[in-house]
Amino acid sequence: MDQKNKNSKKPSYSRFSQQELSAWKPILTPGWVIASFLTIGALFIPVGLVALSASDAVVEIVDRYDEECIPDAYSMDPESFIQNPDIKKTCVRSLRVPKKMVAPIFVYYQLENFYQNHRRFVKSRSDKQLRDPEANNDTYHCFPEARTSDGKPIVPCGLIAWSLFNDTYKLSTRGKPLTINKKGIAWKSDTEVKFGSNVYPKDFQKGGLIGGAKLDEKVPLSEQEDLIVWMRTAALPNFRKLYGKIDTDLEAHETIKAEVENNYNTYKFGGRKKLVLSTTTWIGGKNDFLGVAYITVGGLCLFMAINFILLYVFRPRRLGDPSYLSWNRLPVA
Amino acid sequence: MNLDETKSVDLQEDELPGLHNSSSHRSISSNSLRANSIKEVGFVDLRSKEVRYGSRGGSNSMSMSRREISDEDSRLVYINDPLKTNEKFEFSGNSVRTSKYSVLTFLPRNLFEQFHRVAYVYFLVIAILNQLPQLAVFGRFVSILPLTMVLLVTAIKDAYEDWRRHRSDWIENNRLSSVLVNDSYEQKKSKDIQVGEIIKFSANETIPCDIVLLSTSDPTGVAYIQTINLDGESNLKTRYAKQETVSRIHNNEKINGVIKCEKPNRNIYGFLAYMEIDQKRVSLGPSNIVLRGCVLKNTSWAVGVVVYTGMETKVMLNNSGAQSKRSHLEARMNREIIFLSFFLVGLCTVVSICAGVWLRRHRDELDIMQFYRRKDYSGEDVDNFKYYGWGLEIFFTFLMSVIVFQIMIPIALYISMELVRVGQAYFMIRDDNMYDETTDSRFQCRALNMNEDLGQIKYVFSDKTGTLTENKMEFQYASISGVDYGGEKTDFYEEQGGYFAQVDGLVLRPMMKVRVDQELVRLSRSGNDTKTGKQIYDFFLALAACNTIVPIVVDTSDPVEKLIDYQGESPDEQALVYAAAAYGFMLIERTSGHIIIDIHGDRQRFNVLGMHEFDSERKRMSVILGCPDNTVKVFVKGADTTMFNVIDKSLNLDVVRATESHLHSYSSIGLRTLVMGMRELSSHEFEQWRSSYEAATSALMGRAGLLRKVAINLEKNLSVLGASGIEDKLQQGVPEAIESLRTAGIKVWVLTGDKQETAISIGYSSKLLTSKMTQIVINNNSKESCRKSLEDALITSNAPRTSTSGDDGSLIALIIDGTSLVYILDSELEEQLFELASKCAVVLCCRVAPLQKAGIVMLIKKRTDDLTLAIGDGANDVSMIQKADVGIGISGQEGRQAVMASDFAMAQFRFLVPLLLVHGHWNYQRMGYMILYNFYRNAVFVLVLFWYALFTAFTLSTAINEWSSVLYSVIYTSVPTIVVGILDKDLGRTSLLQYPQLYGAGQRQESYNSKLFWLTIADTLWQSIVAFFVPLLAYWKSDIDGPSIGDLWTLAVVFLVNLHLAMDVTTWNWIIHASIWGSIVATIICVIIIDCIVILPGYWAIFHLAGDGMFWICLIGIVVASLIPRFVVKLLVQHYRPSDVQIAGEAEKFGAIIESRSAEIEMNQHHT
Repeated sequence: MDQKNKNSKKPSYSRFSQQELSAWKPILTPGWVIASFLTIGALFIPVGLVALSASDAVVEIVDRYDEECIPDAYSMDPESFIQNPDIKKTCVRSLRVPKKMVAPIFVYYQLENFYQNHRRFVKSRSDKQLRDPEANNDTYHCFPEARTSDGKPIVPCGLIAWSLFNDTYKLSTRGKPLTINKKGIAWKSDTEVKFGSNVYPKDFQKGGLIGGAKLDEKVPLSEQEDLIVWMRTAALPNFRKLYGKIDTDLEAHETIKAEVENNYNTYKFGGRKKLVLSTTTWIGGKNDFLGVAYITVGGLCLFMAINFILLYVFRPRRLGDPSYLSWNRLPVA
Repeated sequence: MNLDETKSVDLQEDELPGLHNSSSHRSISSNSLRANSIKEVGFVDLRSKEVRYGSRGGSNSMSMSRREISDEDSRLVYINDPLKTNEKFEFSGNSVRTSKYSVLTFLPRNLFEQFHRVAYVYFLVIAILNQLPQLAVFGRFVSILPLTMVLLVTAIKDAYEDWRRHRSDWIENNRLSSVLVNDSYEQKKSKDIQVGEIIKFSANETIPCDIVLLSTSDPTGVAYIQTINLDGESNLKTRYAKQETVSRIHNNEKINGVIKCEKPNRNIYGFLAYMEIDQKRVSLGPSNIVLRGCVLKNTSWAVGVVVYTGMETKVMLNNSGAQSKRSHLEARMNREIIFLSFFLVGLCTVVSICAGVWLRRHRDELDIMQFYRRKDYSGEDVDNFKYYGWGLEIFFTFLMSVIVFQIMIPIALYISMELVRVGQAYFMIRDDNMYDETTDSRFQCRALNMNEDLGQIKYVFSDKTGTLTENKMEFQYASISGVDYGGEKTDFYEEQGGYFAQVDGLVLRPMMKVRVDQELVRLSRSGNDTKTGKQIYDFFLALAACNTIVPIVVDTSDPVEKLIDYQGESPDEQALVYAAAAYGFMLIERTSGHIIIDIHGDRQRFNVLGMHEFDSERKRMSVILGCPDNTVKVFVKGADTTMFNVIDKSLNLDVVRATESHLHSYSSIGLRTLVMGMRELSSHEFEQWRSSYEAATSALMGRAGLLRKVAINLEKNLSVLGASGIEDKLQQGVPEAIESLRTAGIKVWVLTGDKQETAISIGYSSKLLTSKMTQIVINNNSKESCRKSLEDALITSNAPRTSTSGDDGSLIALIIDGTSLVYILDSELEEQLFELASKCAVVLCCRVAPLQKAGIVMLIKKRTDDLTLAIGDGANDVSMIQKADVGIGISGQEGRQAVMASDFAMAQFRFLVPLLLVHGHWNYQRMGYMILYNFYRNAVFVLVLFWYALFTAFTLSTAINEWSSVLYSVIYTSVPTIVVGILDKDLGRTSLLQYPQLYGAGQRQESYNSKLFWLTIADTLWQSIVAFFVPLLAYWKSDIDGPSIGDLWTLAVVFLVNLHLAMDVTTWNWIIHASIWGSIVATIICVIIIDCIVILPGYWAIFHLAGDGMFWICLIGIVVASLIPRFVVKLLVQHYRPSDVQIAGEAEKFGAIIESRSAEIEMNQHHT
């Protein structure tokens, strides 16, 4: 037929054009339903338990010092204290190790109520400038910390770099200083690629308002790890940033003396500052949420499985039984 | 085409009051001559109109063709003098341009056209807002990416289509024709032809412009043309050259004359002009013009003068697309979209107010706060940096949040829907089950925006002739002088090879064979000596002569044998002529002056002295023949209603009565009937007629009306010759199709111009009516009696019927005729009729006029939300097709007007079943699901962004990379929903056809309703909360950075949204697999690529993140916890309230197990 009449408009047959491609048509049979609930339950509860125990194994010391590190004389006006460069800001805290902490122990500073994700803040940076010495002038997004008053570009420019955290910690235990290793706290990808090894700070922190730490102009940006860590802006207003690592174990019930230099001004907006020492596991830091969530979901699935088993046993419905079709049911009703 | 039809419909509208108020005419056109209706609508009506208003003088509101030509509305064409013709008026050249753009205009024009769509304007406004520095949420490039992509894709598509048009234009414009230049014919390119030139073309040539015929190879000036390119009709039509010019061309004389014709217009059935030649005025009408696109047939050459060229030709003026209707589902969807826009405004208000409060609370701290730093110290003076006061800040925040949350209003959904409809249309067009072998035609989607409405039809309004029936007429019964022939038929032709005539050693046979009645054959052979013989002779002479059929001689493989093909516009006439031929009265030749009929081997020549063509008011036609015995006879053929008015009953009352009773019995078995009458004219009568006929034909004003008067004067005091019964066979599969549709819960109404008896009998044979049904017949002549019948009928319909359910006994069939409808429609009785009709399973309307068909559709449409579908094949169905929610044209015997007005076109009524039950069901389910899914998909993403805004001091910075937020709806999630919208099948074809009741899913709006919408919104809220807060709580007070958690959110939402879709897919073929899993993979790749860009803050984030166990636990946890509620609800619904679709789906899979039981139940189900 087709050969006889080549101009025939008869649609050429294919399984595709007739919508008859072979296909898998899954149907939720009781077996599938129960099996899937049981599988989820059986997977989620153990994972939850493991996560919970991992979180439990993390030893964490958190010490809030922003209020205590203000001398009583300034307690009504902490800002005048923090903004006065002539006052010594050192303050000593003692931390107690609750359980044995196995190295590496991570030292974090934790800021709360600090919106590193604020639109004005996150945008105020120049990634090109950080990487490429030729791009010093790329300060378009960096306002209001783009250029000095005489028009020279600031390197690194922008609010983020300008507000670099500048509290420092010195730890010692039993009279011996605990060295905080500040090498390797930034992402390797950042130190090796993102931040240029031939880009040096210029005219940084020279403006009318000092936002935070100053940078050594002889050290290239790729080695300024505190800056690199700070510039990975936090997702949430309460966040930690890695300060350094301690490579020795800490015994339980040990007391650690922390000398905090309280320089960073969070008093203006009620931001809290905390010093954190924490070990880590595969799941990260101490956080019970995921473990609990997994156990809840898993438990719920087991509960569902049981319910559906009961349902299918006591009120079964035959799959595909035409007597359930509405027009077959109607006469009965 | 479309406007033209509207015009003709309007005409009928105008016509109606006139028809109904006049007492002498019944209101409904006879169906028996309905095949003429194209013509009837096209120009016969136009002319009748002209008469009616003629006395009042042409009013300006009337269309061109209806008026006499006034100077300012006319063009003058000097024959064979293109220079003079074109010197004053600049007529367009003959080059045609269907292409829209040139290289220069493409960009501006295409963009202008694209921005006619609201969706694009919305994108554009958002993109412009984003360019304002205060509002720059996204980067410049990112923000215009989606818009440019959509524009680019559309532009490429448009450019390709236009290139194809350019190419076909080029071919058209460079086709050669022979044009008379300096007294000899030269080949000229089509585009160079000018108005006024004389062109010559030969057989099978396509005419390049609109021409007035001057002469043809036929000495009488007849030309046969095929108008298949124009209106799809394949039969030949006759066109005439005026005698005044024919001879001149034949004698190679020069022609100098002027044609004054109306300005170009789009009425392809009308033409009004006169020609001044030799100081004589010759009037020209539609039968003298040949339009561009026609093909010359059976005429070796023809010569004509060009009157309209290029874009001014009638066919080009008619080149406009079908009007678009809006899909019902889309209209409903727009309601929900309005809600979503309120929701969007709500979200933005919350964010901007919170932002205002935050600024207010921190107003003293903003100056030097590290992450705000309002003060700018870089300049000489310390001033505010990017701070515009808190009122403006709130306003800007509001606009920014509109930009960030823009996809809350799923504008891309409109584009996806278009793509899905194109895909669905592809499958409908390609469906083997909707291809008709005999006409070689596929299903056609003419409107691309209502596929899903096919799944929700509640009412089907069907025409009868040509829709339910084949419109291929077969002569069955003859009643001659009160004697009924045709009881016992034999296959005469199989025994003896049928009737043939021998001419000059050639054997001529009619192309189609007709079964004949032996007795009648014997009687007809016996000659016209006896009284019966004479009556039979006159009867068949009337059949053979009183028509407009043109016999065409066709060669066969045998050189001495030729076939005669009777070409004509009316299938009824064809059937009658074939019948006459089978009984030995073979029409062999027709020219405008005479016909030759072979009567039992004896060739006789009859002079055609005059002809009164069919018109819708007389409903009959007549021909005046000068017979070989020098008598002049008028033969009249027409509908019984009008014929009995002009038959002289005093002559032979018994015969008239017997004929009437035969007619009744013919129509009660579903035959179409015609009555033949005859009168011999005395020479005085003849002369009288001739003078008035000539005066009328040459009249310039109101020619049609004058002719009709002449005809009415002539057609009186006829003696009845007899009547014919023609069977119009039901199309294949119609009873089964109707049964399926009714089982599917669709109410089938048949609207026909036929008589009540014919309609009822077709009702029975098509299984529309069954003998068990209670029939209510409303057949009244006044408003009061209509009111009473309706009241009675309502009481009957409300009365409880004693019958078991499922039996047809409880069903009511309403049969109502057009006269009653005149009183009911547009009056207070409409309400009662609606009430009654909604209780009836079947409604049969007979004797309805075209416009009443539309009125009946509106009766339902005005009062319910139920979707209506109208299906028809003729010009008289156009109004109904346009009024109904879905209009379907049958591309059959009656031209293409119905198809042109329709949204979908197909070849056979039975294709309605796969179209509605299979494709309609699928399309509706797919589209309904797709809309809900798109709402969900966009809202879940927007809500995740919204929740995050609450943790950024309401500043709308996003953790999710701006590229990802743009690509989300472009790459990450767009393809699967479109693919599923095109390919997913909730049930297989066999189940849908086996259980037509499954169609109820669409009628009950099971795939898209407010309840589902709100459930979806609730589900969306839950899923967005899980997707956002699980990472938030898991990474609370950790050193997670923005881009990393953003990647987690991106991946979580994309996984979630795609798996959600996967959970709802029922038929997993490889394409759906590829699209869903492919999208997930594509997303991962995109996220990785984005994180490999060094100068983005999120450089390398995904690699750090994925190295952490927490990430994977979050991801899996989010997907599982989000989907569990939906899964559980789905299971419970499936268990406690399983839908029919679901059970049928299970039955499909486990069919083998329960087949035995289902067979028992489905015993009486019909399998299609």
